Amino acid sequence: MSPPQVAARLAMPLVPSNPGVREPELMPRQKALIRNVNFFYDRFQALKNISLPLHDKRVTAFIGPSGCGKSTLLRILNRMYELYPGQRATGEVLVDGENILAPGLDLNLLRAKIGMVFQKPTPFPMSIYDNIAFGIRLYVRLARSELDDRIEAALRRAALWDEVKDKLRQSGLGLSGGQQQRLCIARAVAVEPEILLLDEPASALDPLSTQRIEELIAELKDDYCIAIVTHNMQQAARSSDYTAFMYLGEVIEFDETERIFTHPAQKQTEDYITGRFG
Amino acid sequence: MASEHIVKSYDEELRRLSNTITEMGGLAESQLAGAIDAVVKRDSELAGNVVEGDAKVDQLQHDLDNLAVRLLALRQPMARDLREVFAALKIGSDLERICDYAANVAKRSIALNQSPPVRPVYALPRMAHLAELLVKDIIDAYVARDADKAYAVWIRDAELDEMYSSLFRELLTYMMEDPRNISACTHLLFMAKNIERIGDHATNIAEDLYYLVHGTRIAEARPKGDLSSLEIVTPRRGTE
Repeated sequence: MSPPQVAARLAMPLVPSNPGVREPELMPRQKALIRNVNFFYDRFQALKNISLPLHDKRVTAFIGPSGCGKSTLLRILNRMYELYPGQRATGEVLVDGENILAPGLDLNLLRAKIGMVFQKPTPFPMSIYDNIAFGIRLYVRLARSELDDRIEAALRRAALWDEVKDKLRQSGLGLSGGQQQRLCIARAVAVEPEILLLDEPASALDPLSTQRIEELIAELKDDYCIAIVTHNMQQAARSSDYTAFMYLGEVIEFDETERIFTHPAQKQTEDYITGRFG
Repeated sequence: MASEHIVKSYDEELRRLSNTITEMGGLAESQLAGAIDAVVKRDSELAGNVVEGDAKVDQLQHDLDNLAVRLLALRQPMARDLREVFAALKIGSDLERICDYAANVAKRSIALNQSPPVRPVYALPRMAHLAELLVKDIIDAYVARDADKAYAVWIRDAELDEMYSSLFRELLTYMMEDPRNISACTHLLFMAKNIERIGDHATNIAEDLYYLVHGTRIAEARPKGDLSSLEIVTPRRGTE
């Protein structure tokens, strides 16, 4: 089944798995559609004809061995690749129907709308407060009290407020790894994005911090469309609603996470997730 | 699956799991065969051996459960591997019940031997042989991971159910003809029911094996041939 067919099939009401927990939106809406995307590092083709949807208020995970192109794909979604010469993409990425790969788009606005968090936490060498204020100030002029509110909201959203509320003037670099990563997430949500791109957000963290990040992702998904790249399959299995398995620049299989990890359609997928690869 | 895990010890553990099921299956077959033999030959000593032999299967099931839990905890199996562990747990439970029923049949045969043989007893070994075949075939299907063979067993249980219904009628009739038969016939009724249940457990195993191989369930409703729960036998005129 082709990814658009899978997408159509999957636009079905989802039964909430935890009754009693705040009910998520039952009919998943397509937030973004990646269509016939190819990507080149100079002459090397890193992505081959990728087409798949990203659903709103859902987490889509990308898994696959090193070099399969999953991080490359993520970086297309907010055109990060344009920072580097010799890298180019063809095809379309439609976000709410608009092709974000089209020329003439305001890239700063795009990167506010589609935020990214990296594997290694990247706090700015500034105070915790300024780390978050920096991004906000790029887009809007706010009165001091409004700015304070936005920063507090962002830190609460990232489950970091209680730990840093009394030391907002201290350097962001003084936080632990897990806290720094949550600071980066706060920074991303502060500019009111619609899509969050997480590139191995917990790889550099210890198991407890990893679980806190996963819990945070579960909360964030109520408000955002989330795409996560991870080489930790159990994390993909725990945290995501949809999973795409990639290999050598292609999407081998895309489906509901439950299906991928209980009875995938492709032997390659099964070989990878059961540790038979190679 | 043709290919092996990168971590070889994982394959060994899955093999141990599978071999335990096969061993339990072999015991189920021999226990059932021993029980039938004890009935046919009216051999109470043989029956006693079958009853004692049940403890071994119980122990195997405990070993199986422990191994399965260990695999789940330490390997976090996915996809087919997960279905293997899940199926092994369920099949082990069904095989343990089959052995229990075989032991029950053997135990009752000891009581049956206290009275002279009654005519319906000759129908019981026929039923039991059919059940024996179902068990043998489903174990063979498991070893080969053959879902088509599993489906064939799944269908054939209807025949066993029909034999049970027919034996049920015969036993009721026999009891009504002469109250002195009631004791022996009641034992036979329970034994027949036990054998019918063995067939049901074989179909459970078939369903789990199908799921193991395909990751989806056998879709159709299983044909049910046991109408005995709807059965009322009225006495023939002149026998009251």
